[in-house]
Amino acid sequence: MTAPSALGFRAVRRAPQQGPRWSLLRRRSAPYLFIAPFILIFALFSIYPLTFALRLSFTDWRGTGAATWVGLDNYAYLLGNPAFWASLANSGILWLLIIPAQVVIGLVAAVLLNNAKLRMRGFYRTAFIVPFVTPLVAIAQIWVVVFDQNYGPVNDILGAVGLPDIGWLTTSEWSKPTIALLFLWKTTGFAIIILLSGLQSIDTSVYEAAALDGASRARQLWSITVPLIRRTLMFLVVLQTLAVFQMFAEPYVVTQGGPYNSTTTAGLYLYNHITRADLGTGAANSFLLVIAVMVLSLVFVRLLRPKD
Amino acid sequence: MHQHSSRDGSAHPARSGFRRLARYGALGISATVALALTACGPAIGSGEAPAESTKLQAPTDPSGEITIWDRSGDLFEVFDGVIEKFNEKYPDIVVNHEAVDIGAKLQNTLITATDVPDGVFLDDQLVPGYADSLWDLSDVLDPYLADIAQQKVDVNSINGGIFGVPWDLDPGLLFYNEAALTSAGIDATAIESYDDLLQAARDYKAFRPDAGPIHLEQSAFLGQLQLEMYASQLGTSITDENGELRIDSPEYEQILTFLDTVQKEGLGTRAEYLGPTDIATLDSGQQVFVPWAQWFSFGPQQLLPETLGDWRAMPLPAWEDGGARSGAMGGSSFIIPKDAAEPGLAWLFYEFLVFDPEGYAAVYGPNSIYPNGLNTSIPSYAPAADADKPLFGEVEAFGDQDFWKTAVEAGEQIPGGVPTPTWWGGAVDYLGNNIQKMLDGTMTPQEVISVSTEDIQTNLVDRQ
Repeated sequence: MTAPSALGFRAVRRAPQQGPRWSLLRRRSAPYLFIAPFILIFALFSIYPLTFALRLSFTDWRGTGAATWVGLDNYAYLLGNPAFWASLANSGILWLLIIPAQVVIGLVAAVLLNNAKLRMRGFYRTAFIVPFVTPLVAIAQIWVVVFDQNYGPVNDILGAVGLPDIGWLTTSEWSKPTIALLFLWKTTGFAIIILLSGLQSIDTSVYEAAALDGASRARQLWSITVPLIRRTLMFLVVLQTLAVFQMFAEPYVVTQGGPYNSTTTAGLYLYNHITRADLGTGAANSFLLVIAVMVLSLVFVRLLRPKD
Repeated sequence: MHQHSSRDGSAHPARSGFRRLARYGALGISATVALALTACGPAIGSGEAPAESTKLQAPTDPSGEITIWDRSGDLFEVFDGVIEKFNEKYPDIVVNHEAVDIGAKLQNTLITATDVPDGVFLDDQLVPGYADSLWDLSDVLDPYLADIAQQKVDVNSINGGIFGVPWDLDPGLLFYNEAALTSAGIDATAIESYDDLLQAARDYKAFRPDAGPIHLEQSAFLGQLQLEMYASQLGTSITDENGELRIDSPEYEQILTFLDTVQKEGLGTRAEYLGPTDIATLDSGQQVFVPWAQWFSFGPQQLLPETLGDWRAMPLPAWEDGGARSGAMGGSSFIIPKDAAEPGLAWLFYEFLVFDPEGYAAVYGPNSIYPNGLNTSIPSYAPAADADKPLFGEVEAFGDQDFWKTAVEAGEQIPGGVPTPTWWGGAVDYLGNNIQKMLDGTMTPQEVISVSTEDIQTNLVDRQ
């Protein structure tokens, strides 16, 4: 047996100390290593665009050449511009026209579809989801024809019962309800699916107990179903609030934001800055919109969160 | 005990410190990556970007590979069909022809300088906005300049450079339903001025009270584009060559007063271009006059079966005695990005398409997409647009009228122009909407001029 070298001696002496420490380090760092790819992708596709846009929002960049630092000028311009507030108001009105109606219609439809005794449930579920998966451009073209003021079938029906023609897409008063109807028709199927998943998580014994206690269907809906799917409702309302405030394709395809910008939603107004190469103002607009939507979402989360 | 509390989340000082450190580290790495990437964005400076003008030269070795972007649809198919002819002349150039949503992709591509195509089809009005990223084509276009319609050269000219290969000319024409007008005893060919047009419309209205003889555009965007056609006819436009607004002028007042008169006297059908109301009234004989760009010819050919063969086209009426009988409405050119890999080869492709007799004959002449030729515009290059040498054939929808000759002769009358301001689309929120308000009866022509001028100046011009 040879005497250990100095190096070997140190190695032998250190091994018992370093081993556990190294192992501990590896164990502790493992989660971070696992999420590292995500962090990198998140930085690349989320943080980078965000910081890039934030930086842009303080410039007058138009897509080419050098950008000039303009400080808060873009924000001040937007906050002092009636068109910006009008776009938010348009989205707000659309929200009022869409979300309450969608929650009520969606809930009623979901409750009906959740009934095991309902025949052809699969057919109805498919029928409700079809508009959601149909390309918007195709639907929009139908909307343009169906709601044409002079030759559309909707006004033909109104005329048949003695009502006057309505400028569904050509008057500021009716353009928003018409767009809201399109959005409702297209996305209520999605709302039904979300609510249905919430309903299916409710234990049926709760209803059986309520029925034994003499609770009517309406009472069960109000006192059992709604409280037990509050979390799902909250999810739906927040999600659809985001969708309404970011709504772009519907007005873009059907009315191009008209007449007189009455359907220029917050999303479309933002897009208009981008297409006009006013990227700085567009970026500032997007951050103001994020703040507005975030505040609204927090309000809904607060209002709709389960009380227990 | 210690392990248990740790699982519960209660902090062990060493582990807690490590975790905090790791979290901060992860955040720091994310932020560093993000900030490093952000630095790839535009340089922020005084705003005085170097206006370097790089003039493209023709290549000496015509071989290589190019990527050409066109928007999808019929024109893509037409250009695609020309590549074979191009390769007969340039067998060593491979053309990758791609159908692309140019409006959505071009800006990002030029900003990032990634996968930049060698040539792009672009609306004339968009060319100035991209000029900083494009080759100046003055030198390569020089041999052809004298023969290109002045209006097309003007709209592509910025700060002394020419940034697009001028392609088509879209002359404004007066389309009319000859059969309907003849039945009312009206000879449309006698119309020479807008006053004559108003009188013809009054006469037709007297003959057919349910008619709204003249088209009034209801889309704010197209209404503004049509206004610019009328303005082009009068040799003016929304801005002058220095970018100064000139809506507040006798020319715009004259045009707006005409439109207002049509509306107030009930002489117009207000409808969106080729929307359901437009098509129905055009095909029923209620709407018989359409002052529009040549591309309206698509309507009578494809969408108006009841009146097929009844339509004709003639030059627009004149605003004043001896005035121009046409103005430009729309138009497209080809641009070559500075970051293109093979800009010289792209130029050869466009040179063939626009200036080579075989090329422009292949584009406008009979082809697999348009058996009778492409008749929604005419070439802007004079040797190609010879009134006596039609490239496309007679059009059945126009009663076999010599539509080529009508369009070419109208095109020759289009006055010169100026580049379209980059904010032109944004002006629709003001000028385009205000025209509609005037047609609603809630604004006068003078109010349209004053309110639009102020709003455009404040919201668009001053923010450039």
